[in-house]
Amino acid sequence: MSKKMKRTSKLLLLSALTVALAACGSNSGSSGSSEASGGSAGSGQKVTIELAISKASQDSAFVDAELLKKFEEQTNIKVNIQQLPSEQVTTVLQTKLAVGETPDIIQYNLASAVSDLNLERNFEILDNESWASRLLNKEVLSSGGHIYSFHVSQDTGMQGVVYNKEIFEELGLSIPANYDEFIAAAEKIKAAGITPIFMPFKDHWATNIWTSAAFADYAAKNEPTLWEDLNANKKKWTDIPAFETIIQQQYDLYEKGLTNTDVLSDSYDMAVGKFLNKEVAMMFMGDWLIQDVENKDPNMRLGLFPIPYAQDALVGASPLGGQLFIPKQAKHIEEAKKFLEFLASPEVAQEIVNEQEYVSNFNDVTTPELPEYKQEIVDLYITPQKTVTTMEAYMSIDLSELYRNLQDVFAGGKTAKEVLEAWDTKFNQLMKDKGVEGF
Amino acid sequence: MKIAKKLYSYYMVMPALLIYVLFFVLPAIIGFYYSFTDWRLDRETISFNGWTNFKTIFTDETLILALKNTVIFAVVTVIGKNVIGIVLAVALNMKLKTRNLLRAIFYSPSILSILVISIVFTPMLRSDGVINKLFESVGLGSLSQAWLTDPAIVIFTVCAISIWQSAGFQMAIYLAGLQSISKEYYEAATIDGAGSWKSFVHITLPLLLPAININLMLTLIGGLKVFSEVFVLTGGGPGNASQVVGTIIMRSFGEGNWGLGTAMNTLLFVVVTAISIPLLYFMRRKEVSE
Repeated sequence: MSKKMKRTSKLLLLSALTVALAACGSNSGSSGSSEASGGSAGSGQKVTIELAISKASQDSAFVDAELLKKFEEQTNIKVNIQQLPSEQVTTVLQTKLAVGETPDIIQYNLASAVSDLNLERNFEILDNESWASRLLNKEVLSSGGHIYSFHVSQDTGMQGVVYNKEIFEELGLSIPANYDEFIAAAEKIKAAGITPIFMPFKDHWATNIWTSAAFADYAAKNEPTLWEDLNANKKKWTDIPAFETIIQQQYDLYEKGLTNTDVLSDSYDMAVGKFLNKEVAMMFMGDWLIQDVENKDPNMRLGLFPIPYAQDALVGASPLGGQLFIPKQAKHIEEAKKFLEFLASPEVAQEIVNEQEYVSNFNDVTTPELPEYKQEIVDLYITPQKTVTTMEAYMSIDLSELYRNLQDVFAGGKTAKEVLEAWDTKFNQLMKDKGVEGF
Repeated sequence: MKIAKKLYSYYMVMPALLIYVLFFVLPAIIGFYYSFTDWRLDRETISFNGWTNFKTIFTDETLILALKNTVIFAVVTVIGKNVIGIVLAVALNMKLKTRNLLRAIFYSPSILSILVISIVFTPMLRSDGVINKLFESVGLGSLSQAWLTDPAIVIFTVCAISIWQSAGFQMAIYLAGLQSISKEYYEAATIDGAGSWKSFVHITLPLLLPAININLMLTLIGGLKVFSEVFVLTGGGPGNASQVVGTIIMRSFGEGNWGLGTAMNTLLFVVVTAISIPLLYFMRRKEVSE
């Protein structure tokens, strides 16, 4: 009896060990087998490529089910969508890149890819793709002189003050051209019983729309080499008095009672509702907010004007988002490139551009009729070149600590000057950690 | 007996031990190694950098604040959860008609997800929220606060919510402890003329020590490892006012600063171990048997 038991237990142990060992080896095993299937793609066997997107962009035009089906029929390549949780997208992608278990294509933002994902080391250069020569605006897809990403649109999203045109018309207000006019307009709106400015600063990134566009406008007009100097440690953030003024200006609006009362409790997801209910008249945000509001109620008439920190400022152009990238370690690089080719083909690209009302980035794809607010932005700011790329585009490190410091101003924890001092320290450390020369 | 010994040979522990080593011991050792490196997202190579990460932890303003907040959270919640837990348990161990209902009510927050709790509490804690309105309506307007947005009190608000959530769970453990105490002790004490306070101090508390030990350990370790409460209620803000070690680890990994994140993790592991193991031994020795 006991002998039998012993044998049984040995057997059990052996099988447990086998399972454990098999689990250890599964990583290398699976990647080996998929490589094999990739190799045989030429012989007409079906290949599956992985496309990772954030859950927030699940409606992205590039992952439309019909489009993917069409691609599969044409090429026998199946695209499998991996949805990553929105808040963790960066961490998940960083980890996947670090361990070499990368998807074949990812959707991400170019500027963030530079600061978060080590663009140059991790991603394929796409300069020689057949579609590259047809691009109207290479810049929005490029970093360091090379094309790293793909998109059919060149509209980068404009940042400024989103405002309700109806409220402005009812109160006889015109677009303020400077800070004093802006305050005067806000006072009038307040007198009419409407909250002039909505600040959803529970989300720390929202504190940076005002500063990011204003800093960029200041630099473009007064110190064209400012970003280079900051990135080479030739200048410190505290060296620029205008930065302090700009941060202070945003806080003063709150101090003067021109905003919602509890700015640190209100979050961005409340913004659409606040505009729909006409509780608020203005907000520092990108024109994507206008789209979101008009999607809910097409009768809403919103517009955008530049951050009025100084006389006749430029509208901030955010770096383009939602591009597709191919990691260097992807297992099916060729198939992934085929997918981009497919999207770039004039017929498919035209379909996407029409449906999404994009400003086309291909010389043989025409831009459809734009929504009123967008056409107005194109006419007033983009065509006469009254735009400036926002600060994010010049930064190669994570800016969220700056946002936190800006948020702290509203919590009473820091003055404008202390924000810049704290950010100087953090910026220095981040640049040093990154190994940038001069730090 | 002989058969039983052979039945459970030491080899039988192997599968469990293997899994434990593979998923806990090994990562802990590897983590210990990485916390002395400059392991980063944007570095091609990983090199040894001595105590640099730990020096950063103890010099960076935000990280010191996070350490301080973690200690505050641990101390306040250990006291709050256990004192309230014992009081509730003693009260609900009496012969009340609604005893079972009340037990269920006090226990119920601990089965809720902290996410749900935060969704319920966040609007209540706004400066124009229900809690402040309540204070104002009874003439205590001076007590109203910006609960989650004032850097000076935000960590205490998070503590209070955590205590509210988990005191009922501590109560359940204390109740089990109380019910194992024989009634004869109290009868004897009453005959000897001891009042209810004296019998609480001299009978209930000593005989409750095993339950107290378990609860102290659970709440202390839980307090030092705090993450979800802070993450969902404040995200570490406003600014960095409510950052704790847990959220800083998350942030460091998010920034691609993996060496620093691992160092924080190692520090947390060492601190938790250094506090809880001696405490466990100390408390064990104090325990009395009936």
